[in-house]
Amino acid sequence: MKKLTYFPGCSAHGTSEEFDHTLKLVMKTLDVELEDIPDWNCCGATSAHVMTETLALALPLRNLVLAEQLESKTMGIACASCYSRMKMTKVQMDGNLDLAKKINSTIIQEGNYKGTVDVKSMLQFCYEDIGLETIRSKVTKKLSGLKVACYYGCLLTRPKAITQFDSPEYPMSMDRIMEALGAEAVEFDYKTECCGASFSISNTDVVLSLSGKILEVAKESGAHLIVVACPLCQSNLDMRQPDIVKISGWKYTIPILYFTQLMALAFGFPREDLRLNKNIVPAEDALSNIGKIQETPQKVIKTKKAVAAAESEVE
Amino acid sequence: MITLGLEEKNTFLEAINKKSGANVLNCYQCGKCASTCPVSDYMDFRPREIMQMIKLGMKEETYMSNSMWFCLTCAACSGRCPREIDIPAVMEAIRHLVIEENYRSTSKKVKDIRKFHEIFLEMIKRYGRNYELRMMAEFNIRTRNFFKDMNLAPKALLKGKIPLGHESTKSAKAIRKMFELAGKLEKRK
Repeated sequence: MKKLTYFPGCSAHGTSEEFDHTLKLVMKTLDVELEDIPDWNCCGATSAHVMTETLALALPLRNLVLAEQLESKTMGIACASCYSRMKMTKVQMDGNLDLAKKINSTIIQEGNYKGTVDVKSMLQFCYEDIGLETIRSKVTKKLSGLKVACYYGCLLTRPKAITQFDSPEYPMSMDRIMEALGAEAVEFDYKTECCGASFSISNTDVVLSLSGKILEVAKESGAHLIVVACPLCQSNLDMRQPDIVKISGWKYTIPILYFTQLMALAFGFPREDLRLNKNIVPAEDALSNIGKIQETPQKVIKTKKAVAAAESEVE
Repeated sequence: MITLGLEEKNTFLEAINKKSGANVLNCYQCGKCASTCPVSDYMDFRPREIMQMIKLGMKEETYMSNSMWFCLTCAACSGRCPREIDIPAVMEAIRHLVIEENYRSTSKKVKDIRKFHEIFLEMIKRYGRNYELRMMAEFNIRTRNFFKDMNLAPKALLKGKIPLGHESTKSAKAIRKMFELAGKLEKRK
């Protein structure tokens, strides 16, 4: 069994408990043992870097230093925002030793930063370290018939210089994982648009507008549901959806699931284990498409005869 | 109003460049950032305008705008900037200078955004971690918006989305020490 240092992030014990839970199921199936960083702290999220330069680096640095004392040389992070802050800090610390020394002086009792641990999002870990072949080999229940729109948000792939992962404009890693599970990943132009992120509480109007557009485009793309890899994206798109629907007057809703929930389903875990009851927008209807034979639109063959017939009809 | 005379040194531009590590002078005003930005419709001045204002030394106007507070640091702009300017870092530099030089906007939106971030940091200082329910409640109380999201709370609670209790890191003490030392480091600059 391979060991991986795991940083769950604050929301894993709150709004994204189902992400944390299914991630653990999936990792067990994939022979990866997650080791929590003992006594980890909040990465500071958006607020630390918005308000202060020093805490923005000191808070993630403490976790990096603690992670260096564990066995695995890779830290896997569930939340996209935690991942972004941790990776940003790592890149800055590795590139500027004077700065590293200065910031390290605020957490001297934890030890010195050495830069020996690599930082990856769990999506990146699944795609790069585990690989599609292994994922495919663990599938016992194919998700054929299910159409999904993969939504990455901002921070998993941007800024490119920091993340060094996938494309910042049109990433495909999650799409490939979904295809490995047997689902169909639809073309989705809004996959890296921002959902409104930290404005969820302080500036809800912005979230309703930005997330609304993402939901609309996903629905137009023909997806049954949206797959995400970030707790804040999930809560903006799911918890705020009733309000968005009310404002927009839509006649539809679209469920938002974590990629690990669908992986767990394809790996044969029973529905109860997915914790679907945590979703505000129910996902059962969308999941009932699994196994259904999709009607493929018949190709319209425009023979000369058909064209002539159509034209005569118009006349 | 343009406050920069031709003979005057643009200390504002220098301060922003130094803090952000970017070179705002590289901007040639193509406007890709403004058209890419998901929140430019909410800004007093779009990112392209902010860049030009910095080049012109319009410090007061930049500091009193809401633009940098609306920036979500999504990095869509910098990814597409043909001059490869780190625009989110520029926005961050403006925010930090505004805080250091103690400028305060009168806009309610800006006040709310700042209040949110302040409460978030207080949470971390107190517990080492953040708790969404407490965060929401504190924000509503302190912005005198008692009933905001009340329709959401029961649903989220019933679904166990938001735990009622909360856990602290064992070394909450270490975090408080970090805050104290970080504060001293910031003042020394």
